[in-house]
Amino acid sequence: MSALIADLRISFMNLVEHGRRSTFLGAAIASVTCLFVLLTALSSGIRHTLLDTATTLTTGHLNVGGFFKVTSGAAGPLVTDYARIEELVRKDLPELDFIVHRGRGFGKLISDRGSTQAGISGVDIVNEPRLRTVLDVFEGNLDELAQPNTIVLFEQQAKRLDVKVGDAITISATTGRGVANTLDCRVVALARDVGLLSSFNVIVSAESLRILYQLRPDVTGVIQVYVKPRFVEKLAPVAAHLREILEKGGYRLMEPDPRAFWFKFQTVSREDWTGQKLDVTSWEDELSFIMWTYRALQALSFILMVILIGIMVAGIMNTLWIAIRERTREIGTLRAIGMQKFGVARLFLLEASMLGVIGALVGVALGAVVTWLINSANIHVPTSVQLFLMRDTLRLWLEPATLVFSVVMISFVTGAAAIYPSIRAASRKPVDAMAHFG
Amino acid sequence: MRKSSRLLACMLLSLALGAPLLAARAEDKAATYTAAQLTGLLKDVDERQRNQGDFRSEAYIEQKEKGKVAVVYDALVYRRSADQRFIILFTKPKSSQGQGYLRVDKNLWFYDPGVGKWERRTERERIGGTNSRRSDFDESRLAEEYVPELVAQEKLGVYNTLVLKLNGKPGLDLAFPVIKLWLDKETNNVLKREEYALSGRLLRTSYYPKWKKVFSESKGADVWYPEEFRFYDEVEKENSTLVLIKNVDLHALEANLFTKAWLESKSR
Repeated sequence: MSALIADLRISFMNLVEHGRRSTFLGAAIASVTCLFVLLTALSSGIRHTLLDTATTLTTGHLNVGGFFKVTSGAAGPLVTDYARIEELVRKDLPELDFIVHRGRGFGKLISDRGSTQAGISGVDIVNEPRLRTVLDVFEGNLDELAQPNTIVLFEQQAKRLDVKVGDAITISATTGRGVANTLDCRVVALARDVGLLSSFNVIVSAESLRILYQLRPDVTGVIQVYVKPRFVEKLAPVAAHLREILEKGGYRLMEPDPRAFWFKFQTVSREDWTGQKLDVTSWEDELSFIMWTYRALQALSFILMVILIGIMVAGIMNTLWIAIRERTREIGTLRAIGMQKFGVARLFLLEASMLGVIGALVGVALGAVVTWLINSANIHVPTSVQLFLMRDTLRLWLEPATLVFSVVMISFVTGAAAIYPSIRAASRKPVDAMAHFG
Repeated sequence: MRKSSRLLACMLLSLALGAPLLAARAEDKAATYTAAQLTGLLKDVDERQRNQGDFRSEAYIEQKEKGKVAVVYDALVYRRSADQRFIILFTKPKSSQGQGYLRVDKNLWFYDPGVGKWERRTERERIGGTNSRRSDFDESRLAEEYVPELVAQEKLGVYNTLVLKLNGKPGLDLAFPVIKLWLDKETNNVLKREEYALSGRLLRTSYYPKWKKVFSESKGADVWYPEEFRFYDEVEKENSTLVLIKNVDLHALEANLFTKAWLESKSR
């Protein structure tokens, strides 16, 4: 133990003695660590934003949706007799936190000065307290959504339609039975954009959607299932359990298909069946059309980090080669006074690892400070970037596990990079090493 | 003298104003239609357009939308009365060439050679994204789907027309639950048509200013078709669609024409 402490002291003093070299290498390690922390924080930020906003605006953690087909060619995103399904889920799913149900539709929004296509969510605002925490209403009153023939638009949509609170909008859609229908709505509130989700979604009162699609009171679009926080990251087994519950309850289920419900219309329309089939999806399935951006960012970050770590490893090895060359006579002396090969290798390994740990710690601290500064600055991003970030400002999310992982990973890589040069240094003969003039 | 001449003038004026009114009332009385007569009238509207054989024509479709460049298509329309099969094959523009709709067994399919896939579409499909629908190119089946009711008799331009309100028959899934028709009294040709949503809102107004007839051997009589129709979107007021039907041919078509393979072969 005392030998290790002595080696640590020697390693540290060596680092101090070659201060300039250590500083440069340490700074490189710290920079790579900082970048790793920032990229991970960006990726986590997007995931958290997606989870926070999407699971309130458009999807539950899990969803019991599906299609009802009047004829084999006409499919509507409907769940009939939803109260019975809710009862089953409440009774048999212990992971359940709470349930909300939403109407689903698609139609054309027409104002006096413009028009746009949009997905329509029918919301019972009285029973949806979470919606208020996610929607940033800057004009109007969200409570008015409790009245029929009301609609909430996002900023971009309001701009496209050139409407403000109090203006009228006509929604034109086709009912599940293929009958053309329209509904005149009053804009009761305008909310700030939340990326791609707000560009094609509007919120109407549940009653409005019922009138527009001529739905019976026991019919809804989707039952959004929210699980307790500790199950949010482990949804696959909960989804499997939910499927079991529904199958046992006598419901026909669609084959698992990790796509948003509106991607399934074509497939469902081609299939030769009528009546009700339920579908169980996760929030990641419903957002599969957005998740690719998140996964692409993750893949890009990974490639970037591999390149940076490769450069860092080359730098460490190169620096160690220089250090070993400069200190060859010192190695020879150490070997001559009785230090074993392993001891010499350990000395160089400790030196590199110590530099790695210090660099990683500084990098993590720097990453945390930069993350805090970015979050505090509320940096507004361009609209094109907003679509993928799901918010108008840049938001990074640091998790303690990421910080620990960064320090461990960078220290390990630095240590690993030093193994080969250290072994080569230790394997030199003492006589040759002492005779070396470098 | 002055008094008697004033009286005469009043009498003449009363006659001048009252005569047309009396005449109109007399005409109204003469033109009262029973429900059976109105259904017969609607059947006649369908029958005049029905070929009872094959039908081929060229169609020019022009869609104008607010703030957008006009979209223009050339297409070929094929119909077979026997099994209600139907094809629309786009020939122009080049980007849409080979795309087409096929209706078989009451299912409407869309084929895009760009992706080489068939997609099932609803019967209410807007053709090529325009405001024209499959039913606008298909045989008229108003009497099968609607119950007529006479709401007025009025002039539409130079034409004397009957205004019929058609209510969808119960149990049928119709795109428009209510339709209003302006029928030319002389010919029973449809001159104007209004389509209403379930909410009662007017969605689309169509005008059929030119009707033509062509002799059908399979029917043994003339078949009437609108040579031009204009659709006006009543919700998005500035959107309109013009359709011109040309070169109608009622001779028998190839037996295997109404198949997916035939439509696919047209884009190879």
